[in-house]
This record gives sequence, structure tokens and C-alpha cells, in this order.
Amino acid sequence: MRSRFDEQLVMLNKELTQMGAMCEEAIAAASKALTMGDIKLADKVLSLDGEINRMERTIETLCLKLLLQQQPVARDLRQISAALKMITDMERIGTQAADIAEIITFLDGRTGGECEQIRFMADAASQMVTESIDAFVKQDVVLAGAAIDRDDVVDDLFLQVKSSLIKLIAEKPTDGGYALDLLMIAKYFERIGDHAVNIAEWVAFSVTGEHKGA
Amino acid sequence: MTKKIFKSIMVVAGAVLIASLVIIMGCLYSYFSNVQGKQLEDELSLAAIAVEKDGRNYLEELQSREYRLTWVAENGDVIYDTQSDGESMENHADREEIQEALRNKEGKSSRYSTTLLEKTLYCARRLNDGSVLRISVSSVTIWVLVLGMIQPILIVVVVTLILSGVLASRISKHIMEPLNRLDLEKPLENDTYEELAPLLNRINKQHKQIDMQLSELQRKNDEFAQITYGMTEGLVLLNEKNIILNINPAALKLFHTKRSSIGKDFLTVERSHNVSHAIQDAFSSGHSEIRIEREGKEYQIHVNRIESNGIVIGAVVLAFDITEAAFAERNRREFTANVSHELKTPLQSIMGSAELMENGLVKSEDMTRFVGHIRTEAGRLVTLIDDIIRLSQLDEGCDMPFENVDLCEIASEVMAGLADIAAAKDIEVALTGKKVYIKSVRRLLTEIIFNLCDNAIKYNKNGGTVEVAISSQENSASITVKDSGIGIPPEHQARIFERFYRVDKSRSKESGGTGLGLSIVKHAVQYLNGKIELQSSLGQGTVIQIIFQQDKSDVVQFS
Repeated sequence: MRSRFDEQLVMLNKELTQMGAMCEEAIAAASKALTMGDIKLADKVLSLDGEINRMERTIETLCLKLLLQQQPVARDLRQISAALKMITDMERIGTQAADIAEIITFLDGRTGGECEQIRFMADAASQMVTESIDAFVKQDVVLAGAAIDRDDVVDDLFLQVKSSLIKLIAEKPTDGGYALDLLMIAKYFERIGDHAVNIAEWVAFSVTGEHKGA
Repeated sequence: MTKKIFKSIMVVAGAVLIASLVIIMGCLYSYFSNVQGKQLEDELSLAAIAVEKDGRNYLEELQSREYRLTWVAENGDVIYDTQSDGESMENHADREEIQEALRNKEGKSSRYSTTLLEKTLYCARRLNDGSVLRISVSSVTIWVLVLGMIQPILIVVVVTLILSGVLASRISKHIMEPLNRLDLEKPLENDTYEELAPLLNRINKQHKQIDMQLSELQRKNDEFAQITYGMTEGLVLLNEKNIILNINPAALKLFHTKRSSIGKDFLTVERSHNVSHAIQDAFSSGHSEIRIEREGKEYQIHVNRIESNGIVIGAVVLAFDITEAAFAERNRREFTANVSHELKTPLQSIMGSAELMENGLVKSEDMTRFVGHIRTEAGRLVTLIDDIIRLSQLDEGCDMPFENVDLCEIASEVMAGLADIAAAKDIEVALTGKKVYIKSVRRLLTEIIFNLCDNAIKYNKNGGTVEVAISSQENSASITVKDSGIGIPPEHQARIFERFYRVDKSRSKESGGTGLGLSIVKHAVQYLNGKIELQSSLGQGTVIQIIFQQDKSDVVQFS
């Protein structure tokens, strides 16, 4: 009985890792699509989002099944409940990457070169997701902490993006729509950063049993 | 152990208890019943004498509780009984002891009561008048005795239980102690029960066997590690559950992980979608390969399923660094595309002019211009093809004779040839340096200096300068071409020696180059075992230095 449970837990971990990898890929593709103005890549992000959503359903079902059938306690319970929370954040990351991709398709190939910080943001957010997924895979609380700390960088960058976009609008009012699109993208990156922080916090919770956000 | 000893002690104690109980009870009981029988006989003989003398009176006067006396007539009718009314009693002629007494003068018997708890002993004697006197006494049976002893027996049993429990645990402890102290690492050095010697011998034998197998295993493992350690290709062995069994240093570097990842899921090391997909593919279809990019390098990854007797037991992941191959392949593809494009452009232009002339659209006064145009383009084509032939000659590495040549002489020859173009752009060309003889190929040197100077002039500002300097050190000679031209942006510097590569794609036609000049220079210098150094800053000019390492004796310097 226990060995079957263990197997299912291993499977849960595997699927979570895969889902995390997809999120990483989605946000990496989204930021690359932005900097290269590559619409094809943006389409890829959209299809990845669909896959991430499906994955969320699968993992959710598995978690609920485990909770009902095995009635886990202590560490196992933490792991499963953390998984349940993490997939929500991962799903949001996927969806927001898809939202970014969708905006990119409306940018007519413009790459946000006017506002360099948005590229830094893309990189930083992408790295945060990678770090938090890494922390999950390695069950590494230190790495999770690094991901959480990096959020400040992303938040700072968002403010910088905002002020530079205000300048852009002031200088070139015809680019107002474009600037707003960029602002939306920046906001999505900022949100993705927040979700990465959530994931990192749940990783720390499943390892230590203490949730920092609480 | 304790349980077993306890059980055996209990069985032995129980057996002894029961046996001694049976024997003692049996002996005692038979002794006492014997005694009782004798007493009964004595009593009877006394009573018989008394009855013969006094008759019924004796019996009536007899006050005995213990014994019961019955006087039975010869026909079996009861004459008198000391404990009940004789008249009302049934005929006793069929009683065993009476019959016996009638026959043999004396008779005996015993009968159990219905409950088996009481036994009545009878003794009868025929009197002189033929009647029979019977005496009877009731005594308890052996069962009653046993029942009476149950309490002490139970106490004994409980005491035995406790005692044997304590004893068993102590004995087993005592027995186990030397066993627990056994040193199984060196089984033959133990001083313990003799009975254990065969076991210890066997353990010793197995130890040796295990040691041998271990060292064999270690040896094989070492062999495998040595083979995989030196490999430049990354190698990962996975079992059927995707767990890493082995990973070599090249793979550790590629996947950014440590040896501690052995025993973990490969997903924890490399979770990218396409790699995990490729592994899944390999598990289901036997083989898969993908290309991935890591830190600017390209890797080809092959995944092969391993089977044993038709059962999948794992997979091998092999990663090849194909950066150079991919680069070469890309270059080749680009070269082919470029060559066809470059060849087509002048031809297209020739065809356009020719078509115009064919359709009579060219006025006769323009004819010369058009024909001239065709000639220039054809000349361009010839130059291009010449360049390509020269390059492919260099590529093929055909043998060219090395001779003593004077760098200065070649340079001045080349510069004389370029004087016209330089003059057209009002560029001042200067040659400095002394005669330096080196062992080299004249044609290639001419090629090198020509292309360098040609570029220096072509990509110069009007009124600029080109300085060519020949110099020699102890064991090297160098040609330096310095211009005051437009310079090369840093991001292009690494690529300008590629075929058909142009910094400013839009200017190619204007300057009339083929895009192969520097490529020819690079190959020629390579052929001559030289080295190219490039320094350039945008808008300031470019310095290209070609250095030839020479044996001391080959450099002849004239001062």
C-alpha cells in the first residue's frame, strides 16, 4: 500500500517538474518573442499554455485522488497540498506568458527596444521562474530564497519601465497605444515574478513545513 | 529462542508433573484400597462370629456408621440390614459377592456409584447356616482425590510457569551472548561453541567469495569509469524508470550538475521539454535524436533504448558537441547560396543589357555604353570566378613551391599595380621597410598583399593614406597594412574573413569587391603558416598585420 503511494508521489513530482519545465519554456519563449519580434514563437507560447492547462487538470486530479485514497499526513500531506497550490501558480504563469505572446502579435514586429528595462524584466522574471522550479526539483530552500529575493529586482524594474514609458508617451504621443501594450507586458512579467515567488514559498513550505507568506 | 526454551522447559516440567502424579496416586490408591479391603475382611469375620452366636440381636445392637452390614438368607432375601429396612429390600441373590460367597464361602466385589465419585466395597461370607453376611463400606474414588488436589497442582503449575519463564530467558541470554559477540568479519578467529564451527567455516568461505566478486565488480566499474571519464561526448545511463545510473564528466558539465545526481530522476537534471520528450520517444520507439543549444554551443543528443531479453532495462543518452560541425555546415550552406547569388548578379545585368539591345531599345549612340556595361560585368564575373578558383585551390591545399622571396619587392610590385585606383581616390600610398627575404610562395604573398592593399584603398576616405610596412624580427617577418579608412565595427571583426561576408551589405556593388578578398588572405596566410592580427576602430582606420614565423636561417635581412 505504502509502496504504491510512494510511486504515486514520485509520479506527482515528475509531472510537476514537467509542468514547471513547460512554464520555463513558455516564459523564455515569450521574452524571446518580445526581443526578436518573432510572431511564430509567440504562437508557440499560446500552444504551450494549452498544454500547461491540461497538465494542471491532470496533476489536480492526481492530488485529489491521493488526498482521498491515501489520507496522507505530515510531510506527504505538505507535499501534496503544496503541489496543489503550485500548479495554480504555474498555470497563471503559463496564461500570463500566453497573454504576453498575444500582445506581441499586435505589436507589428516592434520589440520594445525603446524601453530597455522591459528586456531586463523579461530576463529577470524568466530567471525567477527557472530558480523557483530549480528549487522545487532540488528541494533547495536556499535557492527558493534566492528566487524570492529576486522579486524586488523585478518590482524595481517595473517602476523604471513605467517611468520610461511615461516619457515615451510624452515625447511621442502617437506611440501611446504601443506604450500601453508594453506596460501591460511589463505588468504581466511583474505578475509572473509574483507567481514565481509563490512557487518558491510553497517549495520552502513543503520542505520545512513553514510558509513564509503566512 | 526464549520462547522455544520456555516451551521445552514447560513440556518437560508438565510431563514430569503428570507422570509423577499418576504414579504416586496409583501407588497410594492401590495401597490404601488394599488396606481397606483387609480391614473390611477382619470386620466381617468378627461380625460373622457375632452373628452366628447372637443372630439378629447383634446386628440390631450394632451401632456402626462406617460399615453397613446386610444379612442375606440363602435364597437371597434380605433378613436384616443395618441401614435400611431389610424386608422391603429386593432379592440379593444375583449380587456378585453373594453368589461368590454362596459358592466359595467368601466373596468380594466393588461397584461405582452412578456419579463415579463413590465406590462401594463389598465383602460377603457364608455362615454356617447357609445364610450370607455382607459388609460394605463406601470410599471415595481416585478422581475425588485428584479433584481434591487440584488447588495445589494449579499452584505448582503456576510456579513452574514462572520459573521456566525466568529460566528460559536467562538460559537464552546465556546462550546468545557468545553468539552476539561473534565477529563475522573474521569468522575463524572466534572462540565460541564447537557446534558453530561448520557455520563459521561456511561464512568464511562466503566472505572470500564476496570479496572476490566485489573486487571483480570494482575492476569492471573502474574500467567503465575510465572509458567514460575521458570521453569528450556526454554519456548518461538511465534505468527503465528514468533514474540516472551513471553520468560522465562531459555530461555533468553539459547538464550543469554534480555526481550526486546519480540515483535521481533525469528530470531533475534536465527538464527541458524536448529532451524529456526525446527520452520518452526512445523508450517507446527505441531511438531518438535531437539538437539542443547550451551556452552558445550546439549539441546533438542521441537516446537509445537498452533491452535485455526483450525487456526494456534503460536508455543511453549520448551528447555530441557539434558546434564546429554545425558552424561549418552553416558556412557551406551560406557559401553555396552566396556564390550562386554573386554569380547571378552580373549575369542578370548582362542579360538585361543584352535583352534591351536585342529588342532594339538601345539607341545607337548608347550602344557603346551598354556594350561597355556588358564587358565590365563580364570582367566582374571573371574576377569572381578567378577568386573562387583561387580559394578552392587554397582549400584543396595543392602544392606550391616555397622559394626565397623579398617581401619588399612584392609589396612594391603590388602597390605599383594599385597606383591608379589609389590616385583616383586621392589616396597616398607609402611603403616603408627594408628588404626582407623569407621562404614563401610568391604567388600567395602577392595575393595577400594585393587584397589587403586593395581593401585599404577601397574602404578608405578620399584623400586618406595607406601605409605598408615590412619588418623583420629575429625569427619572424611581418607585413603591416595600415589605412585611415572607415574602420570595421567590433561586432563584425570576427566575421570579415568569412566568404562573401560584408560589413555593409548595401555598398558591395559600389566598391566592386567580390567579398572573397579577405577570405583568400586568411587561407593564404594559413597555407604559409602565418598569423593575422586585426586592430580596427570605427572611423579611425584599420591595421592588419600578417606575421610569418620563420626559422632564423630563412630570414635574410639586408641592412
